[in-house]
Amino acid sequence: MSTEFDELESLLIDWESGSLDEQGVARIREILKPNAEARSHFVQMQMITAAMQLETDAGLAPPLSEMSGSRSRQTLAELTPNCQSLATSATSEQTRRVFSTSFWLVSALSLLVCVLAGWIVYSQFPDHSDGLVKVAGTGDLSARDASREATSHGIALVTHLVDVEWGVDQPALEVGDALPPGRFAIQAGHAQVEFFCGATVIVEGPAELELESATLARVHSGRLRAHVPPAARGFALEVDDMTVVDLGTEFGLSVSTDGANVQVFDGEVELHRPSNEKRRLSAGQSVIRSADGSYRDSQVTPETFVDIAGLESRAEMQRSARYERWKAWSDATRRDPRLIAYYAFDQAGDWERRLACSNEPTNKELDGAIVGAREVEGRWDAKRALEFKRPADRVRVQIPGEYSSLTLACWVKIDSLDRWYNSLLLTDGYDKGEPHWQILDTGQIYFSVRPVERTQQGPRDFKALSPSFWQPSMNGKWLHLAVTCDMDARTITHYTNGNVLSRHIVPDEQMPSATRIGAASIGNWATPTMPDAEFAIRNLNGSIDEMAIFAAALTADEIKEIYDHGKP
Amino acid sequence: MDSSDKTEHFVQQLTEHQNRLYGYVFSLLGDRNRAADVVQETNLVLWRKIDEFQPDKPFLSWAFAIARFQVLAHVRDQKRDRLLLDSELVATLSDEAQRQAGQVDAIREALRPCMQLLTPTNRELIERRYFRNMSMADTAASVERTVGSIKVALLRIRRQLAACVQKRLAAEDS
Repeated sequence: MSTEFDELESLLIDWESGSLDEQGVARIREILKPNAEARSHFVQMQMITAAMQLETDAGLAPPLSEMSGSRSRQTLAELTPNCQSLATSATSEQTRRVFSTSFWLVSALSLLVCVLAGWIVYSQFPDHSDGLVKVAGTGDLSARDASREATSHGIALVTHLVDVEWGVDQPALEVGDALPPGRFAIQAGHAQVEFFCGATVIVEGPAELELESATLARVHSGRLRAHVPPAARGFALEVDDMTVVDLGTEFGLSVSTDGANVQVFDGEVELHRPSNEKRRLSAGQSVIRSADGSYRDSQVTPETFVDIAGLESRAEMQRSARYERWKAWSDATRRDPRLIAYYAFDQAGDWERRLACSNEPTNKELDGAIVGAREVEGRWDAKRALEFKRPADRVRVQIPGEYSSLTLACWVKIDSLDRWYNSLLLTDGYDKGEPHWQILDTGQIYFSVRPVERTQQGPRDFKALSPSFWQPSMNGKWLHLAVTCDMDARTITHYTNGNVLSRHIVPDEQMPSATRIGAASIGNWATPTMPDAEFAIRNLNGSIDEMAIFAAALTADEIKEIYDHGKP
Repeated sequence: MDSSDKTEHFVQQLTEHQNRLYGYVFSLLGDRNRAADVVQETNLVLWRKIDEFQPDKPFLSWAFAIARFQVLAHVRDQKRDRLLLDSELVATLSDEAQRQAGQVDAIREALRPCMQLLTPTNRELIERRYFRNMSMADTAASVERTVGSIKVALLRIRRQLAACVQKRLAAEDS
């Protein structure tokens, strides 16, 4: 049997490529006629081929089933120009094909022709879609490859950022980001950069550097303190035609238009000059190289260069300031009348396996029950998070009531997206009006609400599937995820770190009349429909710190505010 | 329901089911251009028969019935050109094709994450051959490989995709 299937698949590939002869066609028919299983398999293969052909327009426009809801509600006038732009994007040959049946163009039919022509152009002539929007898959592909390349080409790591302001043409970096070779510039503040060779450099802004390799950087301007343990000996900084080679030590370097100043605090450095002349400086020595190229000795002033301990304490101050800012926001938010349930993860002391609901006035009924999940450090030392590492880990909640629009928001640290479905918040089962919020292994955020009772026939649920947001570099970082489901505007919007990731219009019939949560799990999915002990592994491989559910679709500004007040 | 509402509803239904009609027709004809032609003819016949359209009845079964007739008519009229299936097989396969075509959007949704699991090279092959409709020879030339090796690769990748799609569809149902 399976050899016949194999043969069928092989023949079909030949058929598609136009290289199948008469005998081949006869053989396909011969396999199909007596064999119902082969016929079913044949249709399966054909349907996947058809689906792939239809993928041509995926990501370009919403799939037709999604478009129809919004489009058919538009007026003729709105549709027509849309159609023209589609039709004109095809070549005359293609347009001829589309409009080959000329009697279509009688006026009563124009709308229909328009809609259909639009579809045909989209689905039949993919070459013209290239310039518009990239197919989701390929878009992600390039983004992924870029990040992979950046990681493998990384030569240093950002380990602290305190009050840093980024330059105009320098994309903002985060702690934990790998730095590729190239320009690194800050306007103000302090950044700690650890080179892969083991040298740590504290950069005080304004500063501009060119990272050359894991052991070498060129300094255009700024004040730096380098801490070079023995393992990193040989680490060098270049200023104009001078090279400062470290022999295992701690030294300061400040560069401005007036010249460069090298100060050795501990150990020894070697200055290399173009004249091939080397000069050793040891602890307590300082040399100034003027803009004209002359050298003179000066005083060491270690207190003017922030050291690692100093930066650590500044970073600590910044962290506690951010914690206080979050705390103030959180305390105010607890009284927001739109809150359905808010878990701040900030109880002190023993949690007794309860995740307290932080709404005010207090409602203990909304407290969650912690199953398995381990308490771990949260965004700040002062608060905790829950880690959903093992397949059974979860927080059980029971949230009564019926609602209209919803917003779900949480802080999450993802270790890896290694499940097909990585749960954020899911109601038990999946019945009418119940939301499911999860992340696919592809890094796409997936939100859906079932429009009809499970047992009832009717429209399928609308799946708001975002483009992939996941980059390997996000591993171990706290991210803010949010989704709003606006019943009136029939819009589902995904957010990451306070920014809109994607927006989806939901066809009327796929939007339920009300939403409800009831029994649900945070960080996992419970399926009461499966009575046996087996369950699909859908736990979030990571940690959650804060989860808020609002009975309203928050605005983009409000989501941004949550992010700004909560980022660690 | 007045006639403009009915027209709007009809267009909405027809638009919504285009992918399913295409899936159905393509699975029986196995040819992109012919399938597109027959879907257009089917749309036209449906439009002409709008008086028979009953908004409270399932649109898709009505549309499938018309599409089935159009496919059979196409097979009958194409005496000279080679066809994949004869009319006997089209009739036998029609029900199965309708059943599976109903799922074509779910298959598309499942395909996207499945595509992501392919290696970049394999994904590129599928995109060239199926999304961009490049011929086998052009696909092979574009990646500097032989047609034979592309064929073997496509067979393997398609099998992989089919297995992944089936798994995803099954997981969704549970």
